Amino acid sequence: MAEKLLDVKNLKTSFYTHVGEVQAVRGVSFSLNKGEALGIVGESGSGKSVTSMSIMKLLQFPGKIKDGEILFKGEDLVKKSEKHMMSIRGNEIAMIFQDPMTSLNPVYTVGDQIMEAIIRHQGLSKQKAKKKAIEMLKLVGIPSPEKRVDNYPHEFSGGMRQRAMIAIALSCQPDLLIADEPTTALDVTIQAQILELMKDLKEKINTSIILITHDLGVVADVCSRIIVMYGGLVMEEGTAEEIFYDPKHPYTMGLLKSIPRLDLGQKKRLVPIEGSPPDLLKPPKGCPFAARCPYAMRICVEERPPYFYVNEGHRSMCWLLHEDAPDVKVETGVKRGIA
Amino acid sequence: MNKVNNNVLLEVKNLKKYFPVRKGFFGGETQYVKAVDDITFHINKGETFGLVGESGCGKSTTGRTIIRLYDVTDGEVIFDGAELGKMRESELKPFRKRIQMIFQDPYASLNTRMTVGDIIGEPIDIHNLATGKKRQEIIYDLLERVGLNKEHANRYPHEFSGGQRQRIGIARALAVEPDFIICDEPISALDVSIQAQVVNMLEDLQKEMGLTYLFIAHDLSMVKHISDRIGVMYLGKMAEIATSDELYTKPLHPYTQALLSAIPIPDPEVTRAKQREVLEGDVPSPLNPPSGCRFRTRCKYAMAKCAEVEPKLKDVGGGHMVACHLMDK
Repeated sequence: MAEKLLDVKNLKTSFYTHVGEVQAVRGVSFSLNKGEALGIVGESGSGKSVTSMSIMKLLQFPGKIKDGEILFKGEDLVKKSEKHMMSIRGNEIAMIFQDPMTSLNPVYTVGDQIMEAIIRHQGLSKQKAKKKAIEMLKLVGIPSPEKRVDNYPHEFSGGMRQRAMIAIALSCQPDLLIADEPTTALDVTIQAQILELMKDLKEKINTSIILITHDLGVVADVCSRIIVMYGGLVMEEGTAEEIFYDPKHPYTMGLLKSIPRLDLGQKKRLVPIEGSPPDLLKPPKGCPFAARCPYAMRICVEERPPYFYVNEGHRSMCWLLHEDAPDVKVETGVKRGIA
Repeated sequence: MNKVNNNVLLEVKNLKKYFPVRKGFFGGETQYVKAVDDITFHINKGETFGLVGESGCGKSTTGRTIIRLYDVTDGEVIFDGAELGKMRESELKPFRKRIQMIFQDPYASLNTRMTVGDIIGEPIDIHNLATGKKRQEIIYDLLERVGLNKEHANRYPHEFSGGQRQRIGIARALAVEPDFIICDEPISALDVSIQAQVVNMLEDLQKEMGLTYLFIAHDLSMVKHISDRIGVMYLGKMAEIATSDELYTKPLHPYTQALLSAIPIPDPEVTRAKQREVLEGDVPSPLNPPSGCRFRTRCKYAMAKCAEVEPKLKDVGGGHMVACHLMDK
């Protein structure tokens, strides 16, 4: 049995706005083993970013963790003080954000920003930290790092800034790296560079990764296990193969059918998921996907389904898997080996 | 391509669009960003022409120059036999009715102070197409056409989701019964499950109304899905034009090949087995593009000739056009 690094238990996070409580995350549980790459997919508003911000305890007012535990190396982060979190953030858990344009400080050099984490957490001298910063820039593939270390962020291109972000994140060899849409703002050729870099570094440093994205292609490439989120809940969890080839939740199936495949010849009409996501100010009582689900039954609207386990690691929150459920002809996911 | 073809709706010939960038405090020396630099292509009636490329390659500028949101620096834009490039605004008006545009950001492209009915009605008023009850009926009909309903006409844009707003933008474009619609990244701001809704609707409308589309996007999977023919742009130049199937099965330009190989496929076994060709470096600055072939700085096949001579876009058979010296052999 692999060692558990992170264990999120029944996490609930809400935003207390002036119009009411927006229940962004409504009871999310998952765990992550050492050295594993976990993908969290979902649309905007599904709660995937709020989950990661909760783990980092970087929620901004009026957001608050309402309930649940976040066990990191066995210790509950929810109970930790801000001071303690500061020694964990950037040191044991690091994060890469979506927009490399706004996540670097424009008035400090890139080198200073990498050194900041190193000096703070590892207590190195300035000279040694700078040496380390240059090493990190080299590791993430920035050409002539000795010169680049003194550049300001505006002198870097988008892809280079994201590399610099990764250099900062990895400078203290974190156990866990959370990457929130790390390639969404980048062009495809640059995205390919960054994904290759992340896969490569994962092997080299043996960091666990949580990759948050809406792009199913990206998770298929990088992650071994995938969580599909919708309406603040985990709809389905399984290995990449299970999620893509044998999805058990109608939402996962819907997602897979609504995207065009580049590598397949035939032009089939896309099958969209009709309707739009639920309003989390007034989340539905039953399954959040019921209103858009082609297989919805009466019980789906009335009661939220529990998780049904296909096997130990593959679970789905859907009444269709109940033994009394009618045997509907459910279309499956991607057919294996078409291409 | 220079043959007389009655089927051609839009012809773009040697189109250039330069933006001046003033250097120096007193504005002495002027440099130009060559956003679009000598591109030629045509779009047939009733087809969807996809334009892809990375940010800064000039694809949106091309769209905006065709519709004359920007003035043409040089070259011709021939729409249904008429040269739009040098027309005055008053002469352009009848063509403004025939060419419409759908924008990327459904939050920024609708006036927040106007009701949906008025947003859709505005082009009808400008072109004096209908008034009173008839105008109202057209608006209701358009709303239903794009999957909304009559009651939505009195609401304001903020009451709608991103996907619904994009539908309103499409209804506005359709209000003047255009022949040609420029879709500038119409789905990139939408969620995955909503994208398919909008794309299917665009396809249905095209069939029903005989529309021609210029579909500008950076998402190659979606462009391949919707387009009949595709043009690939790089740094203001057209690198390759081919039918969408041919472009994906037989890409000839090294840039197209790299672009295609960079896209992760939503299928774990396929995407992990794929030999990915990762392009080194970044796109050079359009202020100071490389000499010769603009892609040569990132091209693994680059030869001495590539730095000296700029490759011309040449037909390599069946309308498949490529601008690359490798094709000369």
